[in-house]
Amino acid sequence: MTIGLRLFVLVCICTGSLYAQDLSEIQIHGFVTQGFVFSSHNNYLTMRSSAGSLQWTDGAVSVTDSVTDNLRVGLQLHMYQLGQLGGPDIQVDWASGDYKVNDHLGFRAGKIKTVMGLFNDSQDVDAVFLWTLLPQSSYPIDNQGFYLAHLGGEVYGEVPLGKRAGNLEYHGYAGQSSVPVNGGYWKQVADAGLTLTNAPGGTTYGGDLRWKTPLQGLIVGSSADVQAIDGTAVEGSLHIVPFLLSVHYAQYTKGRFYFAGEYDQSTTSAIVTMGPAVFPLPLDLRSWFAMGSYRISKKVQVGSYYSHYVNKAMDTTQPANYSKDWVVSGRYDFNSYFYGKIEAHFLRGTGLGFYSSTNPDGVKPNTNVLAAKIGFSF
Amino acid sequence: MSKVGWFVLLLGFIGCWSAARAQDVVLVANNDVAISNIRVADVRAIFTGAKIRFADGSHAVPVTLKGGPAHEVFLRNYLDETPSEFRAQWRKTVFTGQGAMPKSFDTESALLEYVTTTPGSVGYVSRISLKDDVKCLVVVK
Repeated sequence: MTIGLRLFVLVCICTGSLYAQDLSEIQIHGFVTQGFVFSSHNNYLTMRSSAGSLQWTDGAVSVTDSVTDNLRVGLQLHMYQLGQLGGPDIQVDWASGDYKVNDHLGFRAGKIKTVMGLFNDSQDVDAVFLWTLLPQSSYPIDNQGFYLAHLGGEVYGEVPLGKRAGNLEYHGYAGQSSVPVNGGYWKQVADAGLTLTNAPGGTTYGGDLRWKTPLQGLIVGSSADVQAIDGTAVEGSLHIVPFLLSVHYAQYTKGRFYFAGEYDQSTTSAIVTMGPAVFPLPLDLRSWFAMGSYRISKKVQVGSYYSHYVNKAMDTTQPANYSKDWVVSGRYDFNSYFYGKIEAHFLRGTGLGFYSSTNPDGVKPNTNVLAAKIGFSF
Repeated sequence: MSKVGWFVLLLGFIGCWSAARAQDVVLVANNDVAISNIRVADVRAIFTGAKIRFADGSHAVPVTLKGGPAHEVFLRNYLDETPSEFRAQWRKTVFTGQGAMPKSFDTESALLEYVTTTPGSVGYVSRISLKDDVKCLVVVK
């Protein structure tokens, strides 16, 4: 059974109809998307995209029950295929209990989406974005499973700062997270000759503060996340010392216009041990993006962004150590449930999204990408 | 009912009628909701899921229309959003596990029927009549 057919069956079983069901306080929602990628010069995101590829399918079903006014439980099952990444197995995207004491204080426990930056927790929810691909410098789709969620607890809430100062939303969390075995990092390590025997991971903790300013539509925020990674392999081990990822961002919505920007930075060193040999890999990752969009009508939205990534610890003149992406996007909502997107990327550098297994003859420095998606969400 | 009671009822009805006339919607709540006035910021917070309580601390249950002119007017006037933006925002909340979507109704009569029977519920319609057993909330800045 193809992954697309599996997704279709999953959605049909769980919903029974095309509309969200509401049995007492139980809610069921879901989405399915199908993408297409065509690229010049190189194959992108583990797909045979230079010949045009449809190997990009995504879907999820969520079930939520409001047990009491303050307590909500739920889970979301997710399935995706992106070229050689993902696969037929259904994964738990999140599964948590959420107790909201009042508007200022709440607790979540379980597998929780990690709130970080503008889009981290929602980066796999295609239906909410204009963009077919989010800025890959900050939200690389081939590795979205790594920062997406953690197993642990979270405290959250919103504090009013007074009528003239807006509100402050906060999130603090701690737990464990791991590198998905079907994601891009795992594949890159495997392509480098290290056969991991378990999912590398470790302790993570962090928080997010976002100021909803008194200027309606303007949000400014910062996030910090500390992550440790350790993994064992047949040939040796992978060790990344606990490192800090800091994120600073702002977004502004005014009428039909939307603007946003984000800056991310993390510095660490990955140490790969293969037998007696030790390979240190210094990382000083800087990435940022700036985006803007305009809603032409109820159904049509267009936009553009620039996404920039560089590893400052390496030779930044080498295409393998940077990625610069100019993007133009459009989205059409056929109705409340169906939508279509199309997007052009003008990529310079090969630091993100290119794999040796799908580019055996080497990677050329420049790539143009056409990406399109249709989606259904209820 | 006392003269004062009748006067307050008349003022409320005039307020609701005026709102409906002026390209606006009427904010309606279940009769057990204690408050009579609600700030615009609280309307926005309750209907976007940022707040689950009214100003007096009682639990708020927002309900919406699935579409139509009243839905669009409400979103534009009180949330400064289009239906697409409103939908996207709630989808984000639901699919990130941070909340449950408000109940939504095809018709205003179905919404009014739900508000009539559900404690804490708050919604909006283009107009109400005297026979509707709901409370009309006055929105203040």
